[in-house]
Amino acid sequence: MSCSPFDLKDYFLKELPDANRQPVEDHLRTCPACQEELDRLRLTEAALFALRDEEVPQRIGFVSDEVFEPARWRRWWGAFWGSAAQLGFASAAMLSVAILVHAFVRPAPPVRMASSPAATAASISPAEVQSLIQAAVTRSEARQEEKTARLVADSLRREERERIMRAQVEDLNRYLERSDGARKIAAYRTAAETRLLP
Amino acid sequence: MIFRAVEDADLIRHAARGAVEAYNLLVSRWEKRVYNYLLRLTSNREDALDLAQDVFLKAYQNLRKLEDPGRFGPWLYRIAHNEAYSMFRKRRPETDVDELEPEGVGGGITVGGSSVFPIELSLAVSAVLGRLSAEQREAVVLKVYQGFKFEEMAEILSCPVSTVKSRLYTALEILKVELAPVGTRGVS
Repeated sequence: MSCSPFDLKDYFLKELPDANRQPVEDHLRTCPACQEELDRLRLTEAALFALRDEEVPQRIGFVSDEVFEPARWRRWWGAFWGSAAQLGFASAAMLSVAILVHAFVRPAPPVRMASSPAATAASISPAEVQSLIQAAVTRSEARQEEKTARLVADSLRREERERIMRAQVEDLNRYLERSDGARKIAAYRTAAETRLLP
Repeated sequence: MIFRAVEDADLIRHAARGAVEAYNLLVSRWEKRVYNYLLRLTSNREDALDLAQDVFLKAYQNLRKLEDPGRFGPWLYRIAHNEAYSMFRKRRPETDVDELEPEGVGGGITVGGSSVFPIELSLAVSAVLGRLSAEQREAVVLKVYQGFKFEEMAEILSCPVSTVKSRLYTALEILKVELAPVGTRGVS
């Protein structure tokens, strides 16, 4: 039976309020019986840690797995708004609005009396018009492709950064687990060696 | 303390609003702890894994009901406790819940290959834990292996703190006698 001013097990399990810990520590310095009781509790805990945590044999079904997935149309809707289509859709909408605004707001161009309208029309042949349009379309497509490539590259870089960060955090966790385990092993071994000494 | 760039509470808030990736991260943070808790309750890897899957599915489905994200740990373990005891009950419906004993406890759980402790000690610990009652063993698992405070344990087990302490202290007395004989000094 412990003669400590507060429950020794509460102290050992770190359930005592800070204000009550000091009196127990003072008492432990002068009471070999309570000190021995505390040692036994520590030894018990060290022995319990011989039973190590196991790794999960296979990954737990994440919410991205089929069983957790939302309905098909929700997935499509989510994918649509999370993809490049969103960008394209928004661009097209803005362009339409801009054309409409321009059509209504723009002042009418001054009417110029062409000396020879036929000559102006004839100065650009249909083939040239087609060629100019084709060139404009090609330039636009190239711009779009470049933009898409940039987005994909950004995304890949972001994923790689996240992967490295996750790996670093896992390394740190493993290191912390190892260092905590090593401390407890050392405590247990010290205790075991002390028990074996005459 | 494990370094975490994003706190669990933030992930829970995002996950509750439907951010799947946030929940995935939560699962990866908690799966090993929950699996090992269930493994020590059931002493069966397959059961522990199946139960862990169910626990995370139920947690996802009920995440919006969690009022205080800061209490996610005890809330998750409460689900795990309920799932485990529900399984025990289904397998032996005629048995009183208080007397439920997981299958194969006496045989113990074999220890992972990476253990640095002698296998004999691991087996001895496993056998001694098997001699405790299911309630005493769960109290030891929650306190010693999972590091919960008494109040959190009371929340998980749905019982008063005094009951938690009583179960744990009785278990510690038994474990102390078996694992730490009298006359041991020098543990720092």
